[in-house]
Amino acid sequence: MSLAPDEPAVRITDLAVVADCRVLLQLPRLQIASGEQVAIVGPNGAGKSTLLRVLGGFARPARGEVEVLGRRFHSLDRVGWQQLRRETGQLLQGLHLVPRLTARENVLIGALARPGLSAWRSWTRCFPAALVDEADAALDALGMSAMRHLRADRLSGGERQKVGLARLQLQRPRLVLADEPTAALDPAATALACAALRRSAAGATLLTVVHQPSLLPLLATRVIGLAAGQIVFDRPLAAVDALLLDALYASSDRPPSGTTIEPGQADRERGIASARPRLSTS
Amino acid sequence: MKAASAAQLSPAARGRLGFLALAGFYGALVLACVATLAAAGDLSLGRNPWDNLLKSLADFSRPSFLDVWFGPTRLEYRGDGGELLRVENRREVETAFLWALVRATWTTFQIATLGSLLAALLALPLALLAARNLHAPRLLAGAARGVLDVARAVHTLVFGLVLVGIVGLGPTAGILAIALHSMGSYGKLFAESIESLDRGAIDAVRATGASPAQVFFNAVWPSVLPQFVGNHLYVWEYNIRDSTILGLIGAGGLGLLVSEAVSLFQWSRLATVMLVIVALVMGFDALSRRIREALR
Repeated sequence: MSLAPDEPAVRITDLAVVADCRVLLQLPRLQIASGEQVAIVGPNGAGKSTLLRVLGGFARPARGEVEVLGRRFHSLDRVGWQQLRRETGQLLQGLHLVPRLTARENVLIGALARPGLSAWRSWTRCFPAALVDEADAALDALGMSAMRHLRADRLSGGERQKVGLARLQLQRPRLVLADEPTAALDPAATALACAALRRSAAGATLLTVVHQPSLLPLLATRVIGLAAGQIVFDRPLAAVDALLLDALYASSDRPPSGTTIEPGQADRERGIASARPRLSTS
Repeated sequence: MKAASAAQLSPAARGRLGFLALAGFYGALVLACVATLAAAGDLSLGRNPWDNLLKSLADFSRPSFLDVWFGPTRLEYRGDGGELLRVENRREVETAFLWALVRATWTTFQIATLGSLLAALLALPLALLAARNLHAPRLLAGAARGVLDVARAVHTLVFGLVLVGIVGLGPTAGILAIALHSMGSYGKLFAESIESLDRGAIDAVRATGASPAQVFFNAVWPSVLPQFVGNHLYVWEYNIRDSTILGLIGAGGLGLLVSEAVSLFQWSRLATVMLVIVALVMGFDALSRRIREALR
């Protein structure tokens, strides 16, 4: 809204995330334009989740500059963080539902920070009927209408994931960070979930960690390959094929020093990256 | 040499050896207790335990409240010369005793209820300081934990004896004694409830941009409240048991009647009081268990 249209949704400069003397993530530069749909792929331990946690404000980088939706992390105070989180929808691993609340109440948590909601309603969970209808519709779309009055701790793993997706939908975020949003879902539910994710990310920026190559066309137009905390490739979806992904996942077998793919390909990566108008080269 | 051989043992074997050593130590401790008691000649059961036991059992088996219906209406007390000293209507005397019992039961309930509530209120801020995941300043957290440990270590009766000397005989001393001791139990239970909070759920609500108050009411409160209510019922129930003996030290309630009956060797009256205590405790236990299960 206050964001200039050409302002990137995410801008990372010289980022390093360290935990227990181990470098989890090292990104000299990464920029994601507003409205872009980006998938992050890579083997386990590549730093995919860490990247999303940094962007969501749940992991602190050791070094570097992060700017999300035009807000610099360094200059954010408590209220600034609150505003940024309101506009950032997160579906991260380990971000659970509130166990003792029902599915519907958990979905309505997504609407807590909406400007029109009065404080007492948000404290007593007496939401206006229109919001409740919206929550029920979001649950319906995921095939969860029968479970809306069940407590979250009585739901299965896949059902919880769906409730998380519906919560995301009510939040109406401008940036969506989704970490394996279909991890616990069966094939039919996966299609529903991808549709829901696209719905809640309509007009917003979508950043998804994906493991199934078949989901890439559904969720992304640009694919970033991570391995050992570093970007291996960053290219449009059309330029990603099975060979490239195989090479990326195979790279986890080797020590971090050998994580780059063949030099010619790496050069081409850089060529693509610098050709993208939104990626600054300076 | 020994260290080297211990290092060669597998972890499972070392664990078993450790358990055997602990069990052996425990056995030695029990033997030492029995041996020192026997050496001091304190392991006796009195002069004729069996006769005493049978006599007491006979009295217990005829609780005094039956006198309300079956007691003699005219009980005559006569002196050595056969002259009439006193006439009692056992039914009226027993009815009056039962009314006193009802009042004492209510007093005991008052002591347990108000003492528990006071304890919970005192313990809440201390538990917030003592809970490890809230990261209170180390000095304050240590102080809170210390206060709670001391409160738990000192028995209700000890607090009661001291407080009777300060605030005088009566239920007030009992309420304060219960409050001071239970504060320790509450503090520990509350702190554990807070420590078992699901951090991920709180972060998830925070991640939607909710304000701190919204996070509290939508994530912390619904998780903690049922646990707090469960803890409160549990300690309350415990205190109803505990407060039945507070009368022994003059804090009022059923304990007063217990000590009266014991000092006058009125075992049948003691039986009546015991029946009331058992009924009270069992009734409240069942009620609190039902509520706690419903809260799960």
